[in-house]
Amino acid sequence: MSEQTTSAVTESQARRPEVTTVGPPVPAEMENPVFVVENLDFYYGSHQALRGVNMKIGRNEITALIGPSGCGKTTFLRCLNRLNDLIAGTRVRGRIDFAGKPIYDPSLAAIELRRRIGMVFQKPNPFPKSIYDNIAIAPKVNGMKVNMDDLVEECLTRAALWDEVKGKLKASAFSLSGGQQQRLCIARAIAVKPEVILMDEPASALDPLATIRIEDLMSELKKDYTIVVVTHNMQQAARVSDRTAFFNVDDSQGVRTGVLVEMGTTHQIFTSPTDQRTDDYITGRFG
Amino acid sequence: MASVLEERREPAVAPSLSARSRRRSELTGPDRALGAALTVAGLIPTLALAFLAYQMVKEAYPAIIFNGWHFFTSKTFTIGNLYAPIQHKRGYAAPHGASYGVLPLLVGTLLSSVFALILAVPVSVAGAILLVEKLPQRIQGTLGIFLELLAGIPSVVFGLWGVYTFGPLLSRTVYKWVDSLGIPWLSGHTGAGEGLATASVVLAVMIIPIIASITRELVRSVPTVAKEGAVALGLTPSETVRYVTIPYVRTGIIAAAVLGWARALGETIAVLIISGNALNIYPHSIFAPFSTMAATIAAFLDSALTDPTGMAVHALAQVGLVLLAVTILTNFGGRLLTRRFADQALPVGRGV
Repeated sequence: MSEQTTSAVTESQARRPEVTTVGPPVPAEMENPVFVVENLDFYYGSHQALRGVNMKIGRNEITALIGPSGCGKTTFLRCLNRLNDLIAGTRVRGRIDFAGKPIYDPSLAAIELRRRIGMVFQKPNPFPKSIYDNIAIAPKVNGMKVNMDDLVEECLTRAALWDEVKGKLKASAFSLSGGQQQRLCIARAIAVKPEVILMDEPASALDPLATIRIEDLMSELKKDYTIVVVTHNMQQAARVSDRTAFFNVDDSQGVRTGVLVEMGTTHQIFTSPTDQRTDDYITGRFG
Repeated sequence: MASVLEERREPAVAPSLSARSRRRSELTGPDRALGAALTVAGLIPTLALAFLAYQMVKEAYPAIIFNGWHFFTSKTFTIGNLYAPIQHKRGYAAPHGASYGVLPLLVGTLLSSVFALILAVPVSVAGAILLVEKLPQRIQGTLGIFLELLAGIPSVVFGLWGVYTFGPLLSRTVYKWVDSLGIPWLSGHTGAGEGLATASVVLAVMIIPIIASITRELVRSVPTVAKEGAVALGLTPSETVRYVTIPYVRTGIIAAAVLGWARALGETIAVLIISGNALNIYPHSIFAPFSTMAATIAAFLDSALTDPTGMAVHALAQVGLVLLAVTILTNFGGRLLTRRFADQALPVGRGV
């Protein structure tokens, strides 16, 4: 048993994920970030889940958040659209600016913010409604003046789902497969014309083929949207993202808290990380 | 350990018939006993219903023959003059003047239970959603306990409360106001509050705990990730309820409503106390006295037992049979409705 483990580690050390991101390489310094996060602390009750996170997220880039379980990457993602507000007893300290405005400012309406920041979840979560309604509900309640049929077709086409569902738009969203449901959720997110799409391990519940389709879709969508994606899968981060942020669990101060270890272009993180912990993680030595 | 390994070494071909029968013979004594016990337990409800229906038909049979279609066309339900000469019809005897007409009772049963349902379902659903979505955990628990207590209050208490307190109060206030609107059938003499309106309201109060507590569990079971999906799109809390919570629980609410309806259809003593126990007439307004099948059976049974021909008891059994049929039909209808909606409310992530 112990022999096996050792050989697995040696193997994965050799298997440093290859960066194959689509599009021109991003500059090391970003000019016009969508999000600027400064000294973000996050608490669930008395438990601190994130400490001192500083990050900039670039426009029309795909930013991957990677790190071991419990490192706070999903918590961080959910801070960006204030979805953690729904959980009783949570608390935020520090500052997040979205498009130049602090999102935790009391005068800013979270509902308005969430209309500008779409989200795709780990498990596909379509509305218990028809495929058509899944796209149409949010634009309708948000009072968007558009031709709904055109919008539904446009969003489904962009989510690479139109050809599979065009004949059964009135069918229940639950009649679709898991991968199709996830693409429907992406179509639903882009229907309200957000500026950013947050994705929380969008492919982790899908089979490899459906995963590739979602990844292709992300590369396609980044022309128009800023994408922040949490992933457990380092190969996925290396395949699709422009920049990568590595989170880790830190217990140097006596409690286990999530910290941002390092962030850089995906190429830099996967070829020459500056922190030993990042190197250990991406070569599979832990996590 | 050794035996497991040996088994693995068996050739991995499709199990032949003999292999399957060997598998069957591997069932041990306790397994078989459990299987038998479950079969018996599973059959008991079915057998009980079949036996009940058989007994009811048997008991009602003389009345079915004696009454003919008169049972469903007559407004009059009376056990007749027990001291006058006996009348004979189709080979059966009954007291002079006896007439067994179920129609006003059937109408009363359906009206009161449907009105109760119309009042109870929105209140229950709104209450359950409020309880789960809006109130802090601690208050939720306390209110939940009260809800369950309400479900356990004996119906005779509801009846007394209705006739002495609630009915008169409604009569002085709400009914006066409704009456003043002058809408046909919704206006009339409100009396002391005994009648269809009060019975419907009290029935509603009785079935609200049933429907609300089931709905509460349903609302609780709506996956958080489904609701978060709506919130992340910028939907407000009320829009989230409308587009996520309600569609998710719709099928279950129908089932809960059918359960509550069955309770309202069969409720006896509370209705008997509040209904005003009016016989042989259809309610001419929502405030009018009326009676139901269940209440009439309870009210008449005593005197029916003194009928020397025994026909009165057979007739009450026939009324009971109609009540049973109505209950089964509503259950069936509910089941069909549930099935119609079922395909639209599958759990999130199906087929992942």
